[in-house]
Amino acid sequence: MTYVTMTASLPAALPGSARAGSIAMGSATKRDLFEQTVMPHLNAAYNLARWLTRNGDDAEDLVQEAYLRAFRSFDTFQGQDGRAWLLAVVRNTCFTWLRKKGNQPTTEFDEQTRSAADQSPNAESVLLNQAALGSLHDCLEALPLEFREAIILRELEELSYKEISGIARVPVGTVMSRIARGRKRLQQCLAGALR
Amino acid sequence: MNCETARRLMETNDPALADHVLSCPSCMIGAHARYYEAPPGLERKIRQSLGRQQSAPSAWRWLAIAASLLLGASVAWNVALLRSRVDREQLLAGDVLSAHIRSLAGTHLLDVPSSDQHTVKPWFNGKLDFSPGVKDLEGFPLLGGRLEYFDGHAAAALIYGRHNHTINLFTWPSPTPTGAGAQTLNGYHLQHWSANGMTFWAVSDLNETELSQFASLYRRK
Repeated sequence: MTYVTMTASLPAALPGSARAGSIAMGSATKRDLFEQTVMPHLNAAYNLARWLTRNGDDAEDLVQEAYLRAFRSFDTFQGQDGRAWLLAVVRNTCFTWLRKKGNQPTTEFDEQTRSAADQSPNAESVLLNQAALGSLHDCLEALPLEFREAIILRELEELSYKEISGIARVPVGTVMSRIARGRKRLQQCLAGALR
Repeated sequence: MNCETARRLMETNDPALADHVLSCPSCMIGAHARYYEAPPGLERKIRQSLGRQQSAPSAWRWLAIAASLLLGASVAWNVALLRSRVDREQLLAGDVLSAHIRSLAGTHLLDVPSSDQHTVKPWFNGKLDFSPGVKDLEGFPLLGGRLEYFDGHAAAALIYGRHNHTINLFTWPSPTPTGAGAQTLNGYHLQHWSANGMTFWAVSDLNETELSQFASLYRRK
């Protein structure tokens, strides 16, 4: 397993024309513009889909579907950040799929039992980092979908609260509370796993 | 404790990492949660499906399809043509050889026995709708001419000699050039070529080298 430190590519990388409001798009330039503004964010798209679905194969299919959707609705692209725009499409594609699949995968974990369990006094002295990271991964995956989404977008994609609120279509306040509650749950989950 | 500290703890496998994870989970996520990179083939797959979306009604694409269909048809046609030509040639070679053997087996080798081309050539007048090229060839004395029937039309047979061997040279008009070739059937050698809208078939029990010599001599004159 490799753990990659994310350095977000910021909208500064966007070509000037793409940021200049409405864009006249001929069919020839549409693909070019799409190549410049949306294609470079494939990793971000896949990372989000992978964390939301918790499954590599599904993520791959959904990212592909999302790209098609994005291309079809590229006329609505107003020259904002291509990454945030794409992630909104990916997010919607994933949520639609998860809902259709019927398992709203908000694997609710019992905070009480998790933190109460495993009270062995020696556990903290023999911590393996691998185990810590494994727990981090498990605890992230165990977060309710909306919390997981907000945390991944904030911590891994380093998006602003405002951008996340645009992607998740909820007020900024909701984003902030989801992130705060997500972190708290994560902390409790980790404490349960590590102690 | 900050994220730098956490990174150092990671590297040194320090048990204090646990405390850090607990105190600052968000910085741990940023630093150590797995960032899933897209699998290698995904970008290609996306580009392919985008390409299908975009270029479905492209005129160039149709043109390419039309061109390749045309090419395929033309290749098939040419192969068929070649095959039929080869088959035709085999059939004709059999006919030519039969005529040659027939001419030697019976008593009907010559309709006009003459070594003079100015006697042989005019003899065909009124019997054929073309005038065959009767030539004097050094080393291959002209023996005479005969009427034949080949491939659905009348043909001229010119008979030449070489030592004790007889050469039948059959000729008739053909609108399309049939190419040249040589073959051996039942020990007989055959050579054919076309020139000036005429097809020529030479057949003899003469050895291959001398028959070739005969053919090139005739063609050169």
